[in-house]
Amino acid sequence: MGIREVYKGRNIDEVLELLDKYRNDCRIIAGGTDLVVHLRHKRLNPKVLVDISDIEELHGIKKEGEFIEIKGATTFTEIVKSNLVNKQLIGLKEAAKSVGSPQIRNRGTIGGNICNGSPAADIVPPLLALDSTVLLKSKNKEREISLEELFLDKGKVNLKENELLYSVKFKKINKNQVLSFSKLGLRKALAISRLCISVFLELDKSKECKRVKIADGALGKHGVRERKVEEFLLGKRLNEETIEEGAIILQEEISHRLQGRLSLPFKKEAVKGVFKSAISKALENLH
Amino acid sequence: MKKRGIGIGSIFYGTGYGNGFPDVSKAVAQLKSDGKIAIYVGATEVGQGAKTALSQIAAEVLGLSVDDIVFINEDTSITPDSGTAAASRQTYNTGNAIKLACEKLKRDILEVAKDYLGLNSIVGLTLKNGYVYPKTLPEKRVSLGEISESLESSLKEEAVFTAQTTEMDEETGQGAPYWPYTFSACGVEVEVDTETGRVEIIRAVLAQDVGRAINPELIEGQIDGGFAMGAGYALYEDLKIEKGKIKNNSFTNYLIPTSLDMPDIEKVIIEDPESTAPYGAKGIGEPVMIPVAPAILNAIYDAVGVRMTEIPVTPEKLLKAIKEKEMTYNEGKN
Repeated sequence: MGIREVYKGRNIDEVLELLDKYRNDCRIIAGGTDLVVHLRHKRLNPKVLVDISDIEELHGIKKEGEFIEIKGATTFTEIVKSNLVNKQLIGLKEAAKSVGSPQIRNRGTIGGNICNGSPAADIVPPLLALDSTVLLKSKNKEREISLEELFLDKGKVNLKENELLYSVKFKKINKNQVLSFSKLGLRKALAISRLCISVFLELDKSKECKRVKIADGALGKHGVRERKVEEFLLGKRLNEETIEEGAIILQEEISHRLQGRLSLPFKKEAVKGVFKSAISKALENLH
Repeated sequence: MKKRGIGIGSIFYGTGYGNGFPDVSKAVAQLKSDGKIAIYVGATEVGQGAKTALSQIAAEVLGLSVDDIVFINEDTSITPDSGTAAASRQTYNTGNAIKLACEKLKRDILEVAKDYLGLNSIVGLTLKNGYVYPKTLPEKRVSLGEISESLESSLKEEAVFTAQTTEMDEETGQGAPYWPYTFSACGVEVEVDTETGRVEIIRAVLAQDVGRAINPELIEGQIDGGFAMGAGYALYEDLKIEKGKIKNNSFTNYLIPTSLDMPDIEKVIIEDPESTAPYGAKGIGEPVMIPVAPAILNAIYDAVGVRMTEIPVTPEKLLKAIKEKEMTYNEGKN
């Protein structure tokens, strides 16, 4: 059939109206870096496209009380350049910077990266480690759920057919907290993550883990929080021994989750190095 | 842990078709009415710089700047056959044909100039910057444009260059199948992450015997490109064929190095003119890539003591080999 109509959205209400009208026949296009590839390969066959890339309200990163809010059509380049994505949030910046190439980062958006539901989406693990929530809007409704709840399966997100991912929110990060990111790609640019890990860390005065949140990508059907590792590290000092033990727990988790996959032997081994690198990057940026 | 190692690879390579196969290049050189020189060859420019280097050879013979050479190629309806842009043969083979055609054309030009200027011999006649004049009396001169205008039909010469290649002895495999040969060597330093199996090339040096560098910058470009291809061959490129179909038929998953994966390469151009080559220049297109993969594999061995015998050396394969070596080592200790 092919695409019959393309709408260039001018404001949110217009977009939500169109989504409500066309429902499953309709797809949102922001940067198009994933969608256009799907269209070319005929993996998706929408009748209507709604372009949200030029809606000002859907761009930008700003403080909202004790939260930071990133709007859905904000590009990776915008994230990398934002002053709010500071030294403490180095992991978010590095994740955004590791996506594709400059051209892709200029077009690709945070909302697209999330809603595409790829297990290897680079921006997802840092957002999971920040305990982010997503604000979903539809014509007469809006709801806020945790980002974790949004992921249902590989390539599947808990987004209704008339809903738009409006923004992502997480708590502002304090001076004594840090978010790090480490990725294993097969080359330095234009590399899809073989695996990536993000660590959120806060130490107390005696250098013990007061808060620790760990999330990874390409090690499951979607980005995953590694709660068993978090539980183990909580209240402990980070030294060679505890990091090694944490890595072993992570390996066990992955062995369980990726059982039967050809990539398991490699990922199980490699995750250790990436985990250690993410932890040491967190410690480096904390001091 | 990250471990560094250094490796070297060195090669020799015969350019041209070789092994007795006819290797023939033709070229046509023509004096145009505006005094410029047209070169017709069936040589294909595939990014290697053939148009530039071959124009320079013509300009050198005729004492002109490359701007005065009108280079016509890749149009089979008006160009003679110059063989394929393959086997690193265009500079040497077609370069030779162009040089011969231009030398013949130059002689024709001097003959016409001799009559035009009322001289009794072409001895001592110089062709430079578009003028012909006796070396001893530069004021007495005629331009190529004037020569061309004085003629009823334009001056045009064709030349053929046939390379010397001999068949190998079928029984013994002995012989000298190629002429000429080029030599090159590459050194690299790598860093291996022993926990992820990822290999990073830290720095590299590549020395290439070129005979004579017609265009040093083009050679440096060829070294950069050849190194990237060699690095991709060693570390990334894997044509995953299943039942005759390529599974990774896009650049998303058929990986080649990006500019960020390339180190700065120290380039060494070695000039040892080849007596049968145009101004001594030999082909270097393929040779620049050949020593790269062995150098990288040797550097990996130097870094982690693992001898990889299959390319590409992906993190997956290397990590497995490193772990196997550790296990054997630990078993030996027990």
